[in-house]
Amino acid sequence: MSDASDLVPPGAAAPAQSGLIDDLEDLFENAPCGYLATDKDGRIVRANQTFARWTGYEAAALTGRRFSDLLSIGGKLFYETHFAPMLHIQGSFNEVALELLTEDGRKLPFLVNAIERRDARGHPSFIRFTLFMAVERRSYERELVVERDEAKAAVKAEQAESELREQFIAVLGHDLRNPLASIASGVRILQKENLGDRARKVLSLMDGSVVRASGLIDNVLDFARGRLGGGINLTRNTREPLVPVLEQVVSELRSIAPERLVECNFAISGPVDCDPARIGQLLSNLLGNALTHGAKDVPVRIEAWADESRFLLSVANGGAPISEAARGRLFEPFYRGDGPSDTPGLGLGLHIAAEIARAHGGALEARSDANETCFTFTMPLGSSDV
Amino acid sequence: MNAQTPITVLIVEDETLVRMHGVDILEEAGFQVIEAASADDALVLLRSHNEIGLLFSDIDMPGSMNGLELARVVHAQWPRMRLLLTSGHHNLTESSIPDDGEFVGKPWTEGKLIAMVQAVMAA
Repeated sequence: MSDASDLVPPGAAAPAQSGLIDDLEDLFENAPCGYLATDKDGRIVRANQTFARWTGYEAAALTGRRFSDLLSIGGKLFYETHFAPMLHIQGSFNEVALELLTEDGRKLPFLVNAIERRDARGHPSFIRFTLFMAVERRSYERELVVERDEAKAAVKAEQAESELREQFIAVLGHDLRNPLASIASGVRILQKENLGDRARKVLSLMDGSVVRASGLIDNVLDFARGRLGGGINLTRNTREPLVPVLEQVVSELRSIAPERLVECNFAISGPVDCDPARIGQLLSNLLGNALTHGAKDVPVRIEAWADESRFLLSVANGGAPISEAARGRLFEPFYRGDGPSDTPGLGLGLHIAAEIARAHGGALEARSDANETCFTFTMPLGSSDV
Repeated sequence: MNAQTPITVLIVEDETLVRMHGVDILEEAGFQVIEAASADDALVLLRSHNEIGLLFSDIDMPGSMNGLELARVVHAQWPRMRLLLTSGHHNLTESSIPDDGEFVGKPWTEGKLIAMVQAVMAA
């Protein structure tokens, strides 16, 4: 359609080409667009050669026909209801996409501009149309629409798939808890038996593994729930004292790493308005992180205190500082540090800890230098809006 | 509560090892324990053992009803039965348990489980 030879009428080219440059008649007849002049009612008075050639009519045969009769049914409807009224009101109407019917009945898309000329008393006297063939433009548009629809469908499919994946994770995590609870109970039952040292050691190692596995399941479930829109829900409980919960977490993790020193300093007297199980999970994640990444020969220090306005819980370990680059990404899910790739774990622990902090209206912050790396959780207490 | 007649607890838990562990803890604390692996079994036992004073049931169980539904049925039929529910997934508040029922989270620690049982029986 964009073939340039389309625009040059056969026989119009060869002789005295330079003479055509400023020939206005030729400019009208062989312009790179279609021209139509109609009377005020849209009846064609004159059509140029370009328009006649594009549409397959004899230019002379167009004279006397109504412009709207050249349009497809949809085009005609649009012309009568929008185009003509707007043209009359505004005096001009531009860049309208219309489909015209060629002489042999094909539909041809055009972009149409029109102006209405009026006489001295303001009555419409005639209309001029400029028509640009828009076959390629229309096919581009159609392609764009198709591509947009395809992209939308792909995004939708991707979302559905990832939702399914997260639901799968949620169900898996949920169902893994039952057999794990059985193993934990089995260990407890056996620990009461009269056993040799070796059996006792095996049971205590199994106990540690159960703690580790259930911590992982908790984090994965929380993550999947977060992705599915559930978020971390809290069951605040001021009746349950917090210190025994924290001590229980520490003793569980000590059983995983019995060779490591963990020093605790708890100074909490009154009730703390929080979800004790969640704060326990937060401590478990921070302590697990410290035991994994901290220097083996430096004790891990845990501090917790509360006054009327604030609750603070911090876990500090020695060892190489966290790089500036890594510090910005610590709380992202699945981030496993910039160290060797054999770092164990899913990289969800700190992410979930930060989410628990946020759910409590508090914050989790990391500070790291050559002396120590310290994660500190703080939350406001006692304000009426909690 | 007469010191001479120990309280009888019906434990309802579908995981065998978990149930055994619960039985161990309760028996060591001096309770009589009857076991059921499902809500349906529990209802059969409740009809034939009128000495049962406490229903201690897991919430997440396969079968015709879960622990929460079992607690409602039991409460309707035996209004004086004390109720203690447990779960590793849910974190219930007492308001969703009928009457003066209580909730204890899993995993159980001996001290906490016994304390909860005693609290429910004293209520």
